[in-house]
Amino acid sequence: MNCKTNCAIIEILPLSDNQLIELSRKNVLSLSLEEMKAVQNYFRRLKRNPTDVELETIAQTWSEHCKHKTLTGVIEYTEEHNGKKKKRVYENLLKETIFEATMELDKKWCWSVFKDNAGVIEFDSENGAAFKVETHNHPSALEPYGGSATGIGGVIRDILGVGLGAKPVANTDVFCFGNPNTKLSDVPDGMHHPKRIAKGVVSGVRDYGNRMGIPTVNGSVYFDDGYMANPLVYCGTMGIMPKKYINKTVKSGDLILVVGGRTGRDGIHGATFSSVQLDKESDVSAVQIGNPIVEKKVLDTMLKARDLNLYRAVTDCGAGGLSSAIGELGEKTGAYVELDKVPLKYDGLSPWEIWISEAQERMVFAVPAKNKKRIIEIFEKENVEAVFVGRFTNDKKLTLVYNKDIVADMDMEFLHNGVPKPVRPAVYKIADEKEQKPVKMSAAEILKTLKSALSDLNVCSKEWIVRQYDHEVQGQTVIKPLQGTSIEVSGPGDAAVIYPYTLVKGTKKGIVLSNGLNPQYGKINTYKMASSAIEEALRNAVAVGADIEKISVLDNFCWGNPNKPEILGSLVRAANACYDMSLAFGVPFISGKDSLHNEYSIGGKKYSIPPALLISAMGVIPDAANTVTMPFKQSGNKVFILGVTRNELGGSVLSKIKNMKGGVVPSVYPAQSKPLMKSVYDAINKGLVESCHDVSEGGLAVAISEMAFSGQKGVKINIDAVPVIKSLTPAEILFSESNGRFIVEVNPENEKKFKEIFKGVKHAEIGIITEDNKVIFESIKNKIKFSEKSEVLFNCWKNTINW
Amino acid sequence: MKKVKVLILRTAGTNCDYETQAAFELCGAFAERVHINALIENKNKIFEYDILAFPGGFSYGDDIASGKILANEIKNKLGDKVKKFALSGRPIIGICNGFQVLVKMGLLPDSKLFKQVSTLSYNDSDKFECRWVYLKTVRNEELGVRNLNTAEIKCLWSRNLPDIITLPVAHGEGKFIPESKSLLESLNKSNQIVFRYCDKNGLQPQYPLDPNGSMRQIAGISNDKGNVFGLMPHPERYVYALQHPSRESFNGEHGWGKVIFQNAVDYVK
Amino acid sequence: MYQIEISSKKGFKDVHGEHTLSEISGLGIKQVEKVSYSQVYEIHGEINPAQANEIAEELLSDKITEKPLVKKIETGGSRSAVNSKLSVIEVWYKKGVTDTVSESVAKAVKDLGIKEEIKVKTGHKYYLYGNLSQKILNTIATKLLANTLIQEYKIK
Repeated sequence: MNCKTNCAIIEILPLSDNQLIELSRKNVLSLSLEEMKAVQNYFRRLKRNPTDVELETIAQTWSEHCKHKTLTGVIEYTEEHNGKKKKRVYENLLKETIFEATMELDKKWCWSVFKDNAGVIEFDSENGAAFKVETHNHPSALEPYGGSATGIGGVIRDILGVGLGAKPVANTDVFCFGNPNTKLSDVPDGMHHPKRIAKGVVSGVRDYGNRMGIPTVNGSVYFDDGYMANPLVYCGTMGIMPKKYINKTVKSGDLILVVGGRTGRDGIHGATFSSVQLDKESDVSAVQIGNPIVEKKVLDTMLKARDLNLYRAVTDCGAGGLSSAIGELGEKTGAYVELDKVPLKYDGLSPWEIWISEAQERMVFAVPAKNKKRIIEIFEKENVEAVFVGRFTNDKKLTLVYNKDIVADMDMEFLHNGVPKPVRPAVYKIADEKEQKPVKMSAAEILKTLKSALSDLNVCSKEWIVRQYDHEVQGQTVIKPLQGTSIEVSGPGDAAVIYPYTLVKGTKKGIVLSNGLNPQYGKINTYKMASSAIEEALRNAVAVGADIEKISVLDNFCWGNPNKPEILGSLVRAANACYDMSLAFGVPFISGKDSLHNEYSIGGKKYSIPPALLISAMGVIPDAANTVTMPFKQSGNKVFILGVTRNELGGSVLSKIKNMKGGVVPSVYPAQSKPLMKSVYDAINKGLVESCHDVSEGGLAVAISEMAFSGQKGVKINIDAVPVIKSLTPAEILFSESNGRFIVEVNPENEKKFKEIFKGVKHAEIGIITEDNKVIFESIKNKIKFSEKSEVLFNCWKNTINW
Repeated sequence: MKKVKVLILRTAGTNCDYETQAAFELCGAFAERVHINALIENKNKIFEYDILAFPGGFSYGDDIASGKILANEIKNKLGDKVKKFALSGRPIIGICNGFQVLVKMGLLPDSKLFKQVSTLSYNDSDKFECRWVYLKTVRNEELGVRNLNTAEIKCLWSRNLPDIITLPVAHGEGKFIPESKSLLESLNKSNQIVFRYCDKNGLQPQYPLDPNGSMRQIAGISNDKGNVFGLMPHPERYVYALQHPSRESFNGEHGWGKVIFQNAVDYVK
Repeated sequence: MYQIEISSKKGFKDVHGEHTLSEISGLGIKQVEKVSYSQVYEIHGEINPAQANEIAEELLSDKITEKPLVKKIETGGSRSAVNSKLSVIEVWYKKGVTDTVSESVAKAVKDLGIKEEIKVKTGHKYYLYGNLSQKILNTIATKLLANTLIQEYKIK
């Protein structure tokens, strides 16, 4: 190969196993020995050594980040319960669980699932709603501001790059941080303090999202010591696109157009780096800095080009940069790229750096030659850089050229399908969960505990964060993240509703966005964690008025090191829960992402994060006006609880506050929850519900308090009236976190109709809303009664995070 | 009846253009989003329109200071045209970032002078915040009265509004500061202060109902003629009842923001 | 090369400075009495002093609340702090790190009608008042003001 001047030839043919491992490590290729051997064999067949460009391209394409090798690889799973072992081999875990459930459900309204940059479902007959959630964990640990900004920037590009491009209309974000009150001296050497990470991450999402003009409408923040050195940053974007632009094609002869930001050395090795554990000396160049205005300009112009049908395909440059983007588009055709044509931020980049750089804000288009001039004009008119760098061929090869020298020449088939399937063992031992000793508390103790629960980091108000995001830009956020009966108070909304009237003229429809996450449960049982997260996401959506028959979900796994069988086993268990729940609720997964290797080392010791599965839900409703918020509205209205309360305090806020041992993690009972959710939708749609709130972290006591203080109302609750399974103490009833429950407010005028809908569904009237602003809980049976001003409870909830 | 034409000027980082367009269209106008490059290329195009709107967003990322780079660009490349448009009496509105642009190029508060004499500086809280606020529709502080009578209201955009309305704000740099006390007095005297932040009862608000610490709680001002109007709150985000946190409306369907756009469209008609 | 430093005029609230002070106190450091903040721009290129002043006054500073200080610097390196109660921490991006503001400034300078090609670097300057040890200053710089992964800082 004639490329002496522009690239290096990497000696690989004669290397021993140890030398191959060393080469992979030294060059941050993150390839295993088997993979390195596959590369060696390929080039032995070609009878030459690879160039650095080729080796880097393979490493990017085969990276965990791009290929999801672990979850698409072979997993030999052993599950142990009560001394009995069960075995199963997965050829492709995701295909056999999450994706399989979607196939079995076969919903007509799922338009594009698991094949593009985002999942797309039907909004109306002419428009689809696309949704994608991504993670950006490692960069956010090192440079919280830049890391999270490029996280949100990246997921927005996924939406721009789905089909022929959707217009982003809402963002969501979910973060997991270490305890912000950690002493500075307790922070491991070389790591940022959790509060600094939290502030930096919030600012990054704020500045990028706000500048893009996309409202951040839904999210949550979770604090746990396990995320101190390895925070989780989930960013999601929802967009709307005409149905006719849902598919992309690439034809031989189409030109390759690179649009947007220039290429620099920023973000070299991001894809492979995400498979490397974090430590003191993590790679500097893996950090990218974003420029939202460049991306905004790309958005403005590319939708114009889309509407003029000037291109046939588009995708974003994410992990792996041009290498992944062009590689994917050209997988079936082949591609010829002249790397010296790529616009650079500064001189001095070698060809392999240009090819794999993860510089931000770049999109790649496949343009029919006849549209060459017109498409460039569109971009130029608004000062967006757009440069043709090559063409899609018909030789099924990847050919890279730099200053007329060929620097890479490989078969697409090898590049995309040559990676050996790893075989990994996985084990999971289902722990026995036992009920805790009965929780007995006096009235005063319960009230004190309620106040601690309200001010707990994972329950308290996130207003300090939420208000920094423009959650109303585009004017379409009709159910907002913070809700109150007057603009002076704000309670925690369950879900957001977008009414896309500026995009879909004349529509009445709405889109509901929500999420569910509970890593605490996963420390005990990942199956229950996953099923609870799914139900919580669904419950949140249903609480504002979503139709359970029209909800789709996304999965985002953030796990530790999958090379450890126990950790991989806990993931398999969670994936099984996804399959079971998806079928049981009839709710399809439409897209997902995994981030494995969330592991860090302190003083030579390695730690994996507590596993976290984020479920993001998107539902389409026929009328955005038929939705409700959570604050109590009117004194004299009745309060109902829907669903039953069980003795389920494992992993609960109460058990954390009281440092309790034992406790059963909440299970999900779809056979009961689903009909309940259908009835809630029916009741809200018929206007029979004044307010509705899901019961989750902190249980019934927290949910009622939140509804009261955000409504600036009082309420009187009869604890004895709450339907329970077996016998529970008042404290257990108030703080149990059983799934499948809602609190609703009903006007006595509507009571009869309301009860008709809930015939056959477990529910009970438990109280009445009062004007005196006092929240009163009483159990005559147990001689327990306590009362507090709703304003006092509001202040407990409100003031924890005020940075 | 003639179709009122609205030019919504956009550039890199503008992001409230779609909803501003939708608000004008709801009021019966024909509204067009035009990129500044197209206007610079054809400078007289501006006079094909009856109303000029500077929408919200982060023009050029709000680098240096919010609205600064766009104000500088307009002043240097389109200054005389924009000034002529303003002096012709046609309605001009600047919302949020658009208000910052009007103030920084000096079209507000004195369109004839066309020089920056006031500013919109960093919020006292030093952070961007998105929330709903109460606004007092003040005409003359000294008189202490507010009239719904159109004749008393100088700013053509703020007619037909009650004493107190609510609108959302979303900004990090909204603290209005004039260059001198005397300018503040003259703005007050000549009825150029259009909106002030207030509490539920119309009284002086505390943070966060006063979101930024503006001098005299100023949220919006007009020029002396009353045709050029700028405000930090977003009227385009409250044209439907559905957009309000409690779904309030004045006619069962629409929000107070619509009245503001309707005023200008009706004025041109 | 010109260095243009933008600071709050007397009588106007220095919100970034005040905010920084409260963040420093949040680190548990109570010795700092006051913080003043300045935005700093380095303009490289063949421009004359009048043009530098025009850029400073028309573009980089707010006419009402801010004042610019324009310095022509031949070799780089500036004075150290004037008294022992005042320390200065400067924060700049490292070479190769994308500085988005610098690109916007270059565009805006063109809009002003200045045709000379310029390159811009942006940085932050914090004036800290109080008796502060080198160790405290280092803590403030590394734990709060600069992320040494992408930024470098100088203590004066």
